[in-house]
Amino acid sequence: MASEKELTLLKEFTPQIEHTNIKQTVWMIFLAAVIVLGFYALYVQITEGHIVTGMRDNVVWGIYIVNFIFFMGISYAGALISGTLHLFKAEWRKPIIRIAEFITIIALLIGPCYILLCIGRLDRLYYLVIFGRIQSPITWDVIAISTDIFGCLIFLYLALLRDIAAIRDFQEIRIPKWKRKIYTFLALGYTGTPEQKERLHKATDIMAAMVIAIAVIVYSVLAWIFSVTLQPGWHSTIFGPYFVIAAVFSGCGVMIVVMWLFRKIYHLEKYITIKHFVNVGVLMLILAALFGYFTFSDYLTKWYGSERNDELLINLLFDKYYWLFILSNYIGVLLPMIVVGIKKFRTINNITISAIIVILALWVNRYLIVVPTLESPYLPIQDSRPAWIFYNSTWIEWALTAAGVAFFALAFTIGSKLIPIINVSELAESPQEEEKILE
Amino acid sequence: MKSLTLNPFPLKEATDGQPKKSSRRDFLKKSLVAGAGVVATGGLIEAYLDTSAAESGEKVKVLTTTGEIVEVDKSQIKYPRISRKESHQGIPGKKFVMVIDLARCKNARACVEGCQKAHHLPKDQEFMKVYLLQDTENTAPYWFPKPCFHCDNPLCVSVCPVGATYKRSDGIVLIDNERCIGCKFCITGCPYSTRVFAWRHYEEFDEDTQPYSPEASSPGVEGTVSKCDFCPDLIRVGKLPYCVTSCPMGVIYFGDIDEDVVTNGAETYQFSKLIRERAGYRYLEILGTRPSVYYLPPVERQFPVDRGFDGLNEEVEKRYESTPYVQKQRRK
Amino acid sequence: MNQYNPGPMKKVITIRFFWLTSLLFLISPILSAQNEAETEENEPVDTYLSFIATYTSNDTVVLTAHLFIRRERIPVDLQNAPISFTASGDGQQLTIGEVFTDSTGKARCLIPTTSLPRDKEGMVTYTADFSGTDNYFSASEVFISKPAALDVSFYEEDSIKYIRVSGIQTGSEGDDAPIANETVLLFVPTLFAPMPVGEIYLEEDGVGSMEFPMTLIGDSVGTIMIIARIDENDLFGYVKGGSSCNWAIPKHFLKQDKPTRELWTPVAPLWMIITLLILLAGVWGHYVYAVVQLIKIKQSAKKESA
Repeated sequence: MASEKELTLLKEFTPQIEHTNIKQTVWMIFLAAVIVLGFYALYVQITEGHIVTGMRDNVVWGIYIVNFIFFMGISYAGALISGTLHLFKAEWRKPIIRIAEFITIIALLIGPCYILLCIGRLDRLYYLVIFGRIQSPITWDVIAISTDIFGCLIFLYLALLRDIAAIRDFQEIRIPKWKRKIYTFLALGYTGTPEQKERLHKATDIMAAMVIAIAVIVYSVLAWIFSVTLQPGWHSTIFGPYFVIAAVFSGCGVMIVVMWLFRKIYHLEKYITIKHFVNVGVLMLILAALFGYFTFSDYLTKWYGSERNDELLINLLFDKYYWLFILSNYIGVLLPMIVVGIKKFRTINNITISAIIVILALWVNRYLIVVPTLESPYLPIQDSRPAWIFYNSTWIEWALTAAGVAFFALAFTIGSKLIPIINVSELAESPQEEEKILE
Repeated sequence: MKSLTLNPFPLKEATDGQPKKSSRRDFLKKSLVAGAGVVATGGLIEAYLDTSAAESGEKVKVLTTTGEIVEVDKSQIKYPRISRKESHQGIPGKKFVMVIDLARCKNARACVEGCQKAHHLPKDQEFMKVYLLQDTENTAPYWFPKPCFHCDNPLCVSVCPVGATYKRSDGIVLIDNERCIGCKFCITGCPYSTRVFAWRHYEEFDEDTQPYSPEASSPGVEGTVSKCDFCPDLIRVGKLPYCVTSCPMGVIYFGDIDEDVVTNGAETYQFSKLIRERAGYRYLEILGTRPSVYYLPPVERQFPVDRGFDGLNEEVEKRYESTPYVQKQRRK
Repeated sequence: MNQYNPGPMKKVITIRFFWLTSLLFLISPILSAQNEAETEENEPVDTYLSFIATYTSNDTVVLTAHLFIRRERIPVDLQNAPISFTASGDGQQLTIGEVFTDSTGKARCLIPTTSLPRDKEGMVTYTADFSGTDNYFSASEVFISKPAALDVSFYEEDSIKYIRVSGIQTGSEGDDAPIANETVLLFVPTLFAPMPVGEIYLEEDGVGSMEFPMTLIGDSVGTIMIIARIDENDLFGYVKGGSSCNWAIPKHFLKQDKPTRELWTPVAPLWMIITLLILLAGVWGHYVYAVVQLIKIKQSAKKESA
């Protein structure tokens, strides 16, 4: 049975699970509307062809791929944060671990959708399975992402199990019968016997380790899609680890922003404190340093040797993309270091603002990896059609990007209505653990 | 006057025993016809009427012997294009190679146009592209026709997730657009910007009424990738690719590297000798793709580079506006 | 024309004419088809015939006629048009037969030269005739030449290999004579077009020779066909003869230079498959373990409630 402490904690979250207030309803309708707009854009793209996007024969991949990398990155960060913190038994993780898990699974469901938007013949998608060639990095990606999705789902379920059981046992909560039935079914009859606890613990440990390993592989494979080609700017050995670091970095940013939002909306000031912001912020600082280091190494070597096509690319980055380059690789790196590094600036709001900048900077960073390279191929682009020379994203692409973000927010909102956004059972355990540590 | 009648032995007729006097209708039915819409490829391989087939109701215009246009039912025309499965087999014992003589190219664009017409390509898609290159500011500018290089280490084939693009024993790299899922990975994989994507459906695709074959790269399909194919459908019947035959300057040579011979239709050379004597090279050898297309450097040119701007339409002329050479001319 | 190098270029253009013709035919069907419709009611169009006779071995001659029209100056081949061939000489006329043009507008026939009518100099006058239709004017072309033959043989002297060509002009009554003081071109037939390998000057005795080019590539056992040709000769027109030897370099089927990276092949390299399987087995094994734990939790719950 659920412990008393669990039930008292659960009580605090009951209102969110029981009711949806008008503000939240309006919010969800708005998100749904954005998603509908995205579907309309998708309809236009399917009926009229990819000509409605800004992609053309030179820049064949645009912001869809950028979004793909971005969401996969966020997902990875969630997995890494929840997995590592679980394995290292960092006590402070407990209030934010659920947020990290949610980020992981939601972003992981959105990310691959963006790569589908780039595919010219969606009707032949199953060819990837029946005719798959093992040599192709796309096949690696298909295998790795599907493995990752399964792993994350199992990990999330393991993490939710005790809370689901707690809700099932919590008689005071007023939820429809069918919902309770679902909770009962999903709880698997978990009652917290020593044997069950032991098994759950073992499984969670294993999956935490797996999720970390898998996420590294998934993100490296994603980077290899670019670096196995001969394109200047992509053909880099550093891309695997670079992408992994960038992913966790952006994920930390999203983590902080989501923490801030739930803290404000659900009034979780008691649970999510400055400590959490600073701790995740410090993680972000370290990652900013690493990310800056990788970025510097990558561009330094390209610039120093100045191979013709590398030079063309760098000239393009410092000319047409100057401000974006400054934002992504200077401000995005230095701001979190300053804000978190200097104690005076270290407030919840400041850290959140720098996290927002980091998210933007990282998105732009991916854009600067994908697009300018394709705009400076080995053979100079000699074309009279402007669309073929430079990439200009269209409303279709932006509508679908907005739809992805909206889905992320909507799924988070709905998720927090189904299960407490703070891991109740883990939190309930913490004092005992504390005692153990003190002993 | 004495008149002898000799029975001519192996009488080589294109048709099988035409009756000398026949009505035009019969004449049409039995004669070799080439559909107006399919002439470009269908006319080369024998296209014939199959009166036994059920009528599809769809009419195709064909040009008859006597120069008349007659509409016949589409189902009555059979085309022996190679099937998708067969197209995976290379032409046995051959390894094709192309040599492009940069000294002769004056950007007449006949190769581009010939190829586009024959493959039913829209204006947006060019299998053959002509670049105006200048390696550095102090070196000579030159016109650079660029087909697919049919590399011996084709990265585009390596990265294809579904095997839609493949390399054959005769060295030709083809795309099967009924297998292609349109992920465009091959486009980013190719360092030579050779591949094109069908961003929408083009009317030109409908002009080709023959069944699809990877060897013909036609008709095109929206959402798939296509590129220069070295015209294996022509090679099979002993003809040279369209770009070779349409070039008025004889810039492009084509042949079999095992046979060690290349020809532009008029002149035929021993490939190894030609490459040795004219210092032939492959473009961007440093990338390790091992192309099947060789270039002869633009020495002792037959045309000044400016001749390449003659008679270009506005759209094409605009393409070269951003090149360092044109910019420099402008400043003068 | 070209201001730098007019001579050779002009030749290219002329020779390429045939290729151009067939190509333009291909690329202009719709254009010409439209014109066809417009001019159908109008008067017939002019037709053009180009006609040659080529003597080949075994005393035969190949007559080739190419029939085409011009639509806005672009040549368009006429197919399935009946071309009648005749040979005449010294008042005699021989009807050879009628052949229909093929899809490239060409009609060919191959006949023995032995009983062709000749004039006093031994010349044969060949005629190709297109009688015309309602829509097309008739056309006729004449080709006059003396039957001849070229014989190619091979010999070795002081361990140097030679090609020998002897030319014979055949008279009507067996009064054969050598083809003297003529240049013969040598070719190797290849997939698309014959490759020139050299030329031989025939001396007074009608025989000439040259060293065998040792760089030629033959078939898998080194067999190669050498063709000798006289083109556009005032007297003989076109003469062709050939024979094979096995002196060429055997074709080695250039090994596709063994790539160090063979990733384009249909099957992935073994190491890649093994690595992938190990990774997948490792990861999914752990997944299975975690799921088994969940199942056991469920089972233990059932046990307890029971």
